[in-house]
Amino acid sequence: MAAKSSSEGERLDSHELERFETVVLPHLDAAYTLARYLTRNDHDAEDVVQDAYLRALKYFGGFRGEESSARAWVLAIVRNTAYTWRRRQHSDTLGTEFNEELHSDTVADEHPEATLLKRDAGESLTRALDQLPIEFREVIVLRELEGLSYKEISDVAGVPVGTVMSRLSRARQRLQEALCAAEEC
Amino acid sequence: MSHPNFESQLDAYLDGELAAVDARELEAHVAQCRECMEFRDRRLALRAAINARVPTFQASDVLRQRVRAAMRKPSMFGSRPRPPRPWRSLAIAASLAVVALGTWQLAARRSAGEALAGDVFTSHVRSLMPGGGHLTDVLSSDQHTVKPWFNGKLDYSPPVYDFAGRGYPLIGGRLDYVAGRPVAALVYGRRQHVINVVLWPSARGGDLGPTTQTRQGYHLLHWNTPAYAYWVVSDLGLTELREFSRLLQQADSAAP
Repeated sequence: MAAKSSSEGERLDSHELERFETVVLPHLDAAYTLARYLTRNDHDAEDVVQDAYLRALKYFGGFRGEESSARAWVLAIVRNTAYTWRRRQHSDTLGTEFNEELHSDTVADEHPEATLLKRDAGESLTRALDQLPIEFREVIVLRELEGLSYKEISDVAGVPVGTVMSRLSRARQRLQEALCAAEEC
Repeated sequence: MSHPNFESQLDAYLDGELAAVDARELEAHVAQCRECMEFRDRRLALRAAINARVPTFQASDVLRQRVRAAMRKPSMFGSRPRPPRPWRSLAIAASLAVVALGTWQLAARRSAGEALAGDVFTSHVRSLMPGGGHLTDVLSSDQHTVKPWFNGKLDYSPPVYDFAGRGYPLIGGRLDYVAGRPVAALVYGRRQHVINVVLWPSARGGDLGPTTQTRQGYHLLHWNTPAYAYWVVSDLGLTELREFSRLLQQADSAAP
């Protein structure tokens, strides 16, 4: 179905704006955090969030979920906006699709252990997160930092719950290796 | 030993996302598998490390103002300055993405509070695990032994009571890690049931009466006093657990 207010010109009335302010605006920090980890820099994250919020504002009339689901709703918009941003950035370098098996087992030269051995553990963990493939990074951020359920993550990322589960597990394994390397365990 | 899908199963279990029947099966296996216990402990350490060290970010004031400005002047949509090239197609693609979200349906939000509930739940389950789990660091039914034990281990001194006279004897206490910080977990008993009380200083104020939720057969009660955020978790029946929580609240409000 199409969102109710999908025509370009339609405006939210003042009541709807008020509802937007109470329901969607409080998730701005969460939105920024997700965008920041997906784009890996402040400037792009701000652009992504601003654009995502404009979209959210525009389509808020079609949002019929409970207030409690607004967080995941807006995070999904941020996520999709960030992916679109990323496709633009990488349009000339895009060669390979994300491959679950391939990427989870690859020991690339950017493998955490190779680069992070001597770093402070806190920094190394964040860096290891930044170096994960984006499909792994987003499930970690959505789960560990944003506190979404598997079902919500599945809706946000557009993959089955089983995929959320296996991606989370592989992503954690990677982070654990990085943590371990930094702390020499 | 081979564990097909074991890692993701145990991850889901620690996330409180495993169905009760699978959870019980997994618990039984983990209890007699050293490898699994070590895996679980490493995962809990990782979770604590992520909580403590991986930052969340705050939207800058500039960004906040940009968004607010757009809200105050929705006419911006029509006359928005043409974005630079990549952004134009981006905007179109994002619109499509949003339209695809029209049929949005979600289970209840997993709010920060629920993530905390997950932490507390995990803490409780872990404390009861045979072999790998540990329930108490200080084992004593004497509140004047348990309370001072936390000195130097936490930046607060948790109130400790003994309700043995009311049928809820103090069993002991331990240090745990919840909500991204070390916390006091106090252990009380009721017949063969164990009650974990997890609390930490909170500036939230004491307005919130106990909220109740049930996870995999365990009840969690949560409330805030002017000084502390309280979580109580047990497999004890809800009626008795509420009674116990009232005892705690009364004792707290009677305390100097």
